[in-house]
Amino acid sequence: MAVVELQNLVKDYAGFRAIHGVDLTIDDGEFCVFVGPSGCGKSTLLRMIAGLESITGGELRIDGTRVNEQRAAERGLAMVFQTYALYPHMTVRENLAFGLENIKTPKDEIKKRVDDAARMLQIEEHLTRRPKQLSGGQRQRVAIGRAVVREPKVFLFDEPLSNLDAELRVVMRGEISQLHRRLGNTMIYVTHDQVEAMTMADKIVVLKAGLIQQVGSPLDLYNRPANQFVAGFIGSPRMNFMQMTVAEIRNDAILLKDDEGRSFEAAVSPEGVAAGDTVTVGVRPEHLEIGTERGRPVTVETIEQLGGESYLYCQDQSGRPITVHLSGQTRIKAGEEAKVFLPAEAVHVFKEDGAALERLRIGEAA
Amino acid sequence: MFQPLNSAAQLGYRTVFNLFEWPMARAQRLVGIRRVAWLFLLPNLLIFGLFTFLPIILNVFYATTGSDAILLSQRPYVGAENFSSLLSCTDYLDPNSCRRDVFWRAVYNTGWFVVLQVGFMVLFSLITALILNRDIPLKGFFRGVFFYPVLLSPVVVALIWKWILQRYGVFNAGLEGMGFASVDWLTDADWAFFWIIFVSIWAHMGFYTLILLAGLQSIPSDVYEAAEMDGASRWRVFAKITMPLLMPTMVVVLVLSLIRAVQAFDEIFVLTGGGPGSATTLILQYIYETGFASRPQLFGLAAAASILMAVVLLVLTLLQLRATRSQAEG
Ligand SMILES: Nc1ncnc2c1ncn2[C@@H]1O[C@H](COP(=O)(O)OP(=O)(O)O)[C@@H](O)[C@H]1O
Ligand SMILES: [Mg+2]
Repeated sequence: MAVVELQNLVKDYAGFRAIHGVDLTIDDGEFCVFVGPSGCGKSTLLRMIAGLESITGGELRIDGTRVNEQRAAERGLAMVFQTYALYPHMTVRENLAFGLENIKTPKDEIKKRVDDAARMLQIEEHLTRRPKQLSGGQRQRVAIGRAVVREPKVFLFDEPLSNLDAELRVVMRGEISQLHRRLGNTMIYVTHDQVEAMTMADKIVVLKAGLIQQVGSPLDLYNRPANQFVAGFIGSPRMNFMQMTVAEIRNDAILLKDDEGRSFEAAVSPEGVAAGDTVTVGVRPEHLEIGTERGRPVTVETIEQLGGESYLYCQDQSGRPITVHLSGQTRIKAGEEAKVFLPAEAVHVFKEDGAALERLRIGEAA
Repeated sequence: MFQPLNSAAQLGYRTVFNLFEWPMARAQRLVGIRRVAWLFLLPNLLIFGLFTFLPIILNVFYATTGSDAILLSQRPYVGAENFSSLLSCTDYLDPNSCRRDVFWRAVYNTGWFVVLQVGFMVLFSLITALILNRDIPLKGFFRGVFFYPVLLSPVVVALIWKWILQRYGVFNAGLEGMGFASVDWLTDADWAFFWIIFVSIWAHMGFYTLILLAGLQSIPSDVYEAAEMDGASRWRVFAKITMPLLMPTMVVVLVLSLIRAVQAFDEIFVLTGGGPGSATTLILQYIYETGFASRPQLFGLAAAASILMAVVLLVLTLLQLRATRSQAEG
């Protein structure tokens, strides 16, 4: 139905460059998530696609046609806003019908489409109410319904769940994914929540300061973060980082030394580093092994036992925090000394400029 | 904005508070804590009682008594005679058939004035507010320009326009300079009526423009963005989004300006003196002239007319309350 192509898109706000030349192709039927910290330009990029924000430079194409100059309505997109942006003085039915009335759709066609969308989103019994009389989740459904009835080529969502409470957020997350499977439209979804990105996306676009950091599937980003920023942003709890020195280069690994002289192996391609370089080593909390025999000595500060999984918040000897995530329960107690070991296959290595070295033995970790 | 107090100022405040501490404690001990509240209300109650409630009651007494005596004790009771005199007409549509023809002329003048002045003023205010709400150059300057007349005293407004419009005024001088004949702007009955409406719109429009502008700016911008995505034309955005959401503000503006138009007096009195004849005499001027400016001074008649006017204002005020309340609930 619709391919969206961004070619070197640039956005300037009165001397401030919010988007620095973004290149991206979103395929037909894809669920694409823009994720990044607050202020990185996700909304700006989405609003440029929507036509709510002018495009300073570059080209935006939908199904191969340049649409830079087209007005929002002509692009055939529909948007769900973070604040819902429902028309407060209209009933739910009028809210849903407004866009269709604008293009002079026949009355019975409007009624049919509104009723269908209302049924699908389970807001039938609210059709005569005003937005004020609805709960947050119901308003969200109306906002989605307003997009659905217009049968757009592409759905745009700008942090649609951030005003809902945690439980409802999980429910709506599922419903939006289901909507996508059902309609099969191209969808572009903006969020600052990496869990939403990981659970919903076919393709994640990680943004920082108006620049794309990495584009890929959720597992790509988890397994092969292109740089330290993406590594830290994707995954929860956050990846542990520590400074080390490259001690020795081998052909399918490098040997690292920490500041106390202990050696670790990292199964990464040595391309781009030389012995003696300082690098940042990253290991996800769920890949660390904790025990008493090998690795860096740490003090366990706090433990969260959730039954099915455990989080251990530790400190190494120089006071740096290290988080360990174990599945199942642990016998270790808060205040105890322990050692954490970094399995070679699980280690990420980032050069001084933040770029990652290629990992060679993904999936072999225990 | 509040600045953090420096220590000298803090000391000053504390000294002042301490000064009040002792008399407060003493007053509470003397009359009891609850009754101290009444003590605080007393000055206000006295002022309101003396200058608002008392005159209202006196007014009723004057309206039901006759003669030109000023002391109530010397005024004979006449019942509803003042009212029936005001209301006696053979044909209510023709002021000449009424016993108090000037009163009825003033009533009709006021009616026309209210309808035209309020109607056009609200329309112009709305248009101005809509324009000022858009991204136009020199926005702040234009907002100031439209509000500026509101800051002028009504007498100053009238004197400025009198200077412009009088027989040998600026406007006629300009017309003559361009080879046109001069016009009796203020002494021709129709033109005079036009100008009292024009000048009072000019003088008050800025105030209502400002209120409407605030109303426009309280409409969330995301609603407009949703309408843009929904492909609404500019006219439909105005008719289906802006106007309905501006309605509560419109009601306030309408009722406020209605009440003010019914009470119009000062600018018009200075500009035309109610003339020519009684062509621009409004109800408030009639009351003033009947009660104070004419000989004999017909206090009773003036009081009765003011009570009739109060009834109209009361109805308008109740309408406003109802409208704003139903808006708040809707
Ligand atoms: N209308 C605007 N004028 C000026 N700067 C803006 C405007 N809108 C957004 N920005 C700036 O652009 C950057 C990106 O904003 P935004 O896209 O809203 O971020 P995000 O949605 O990722 O939180 C921010 O630094 C923000 O301050
Ligand atoms: Mg945003």
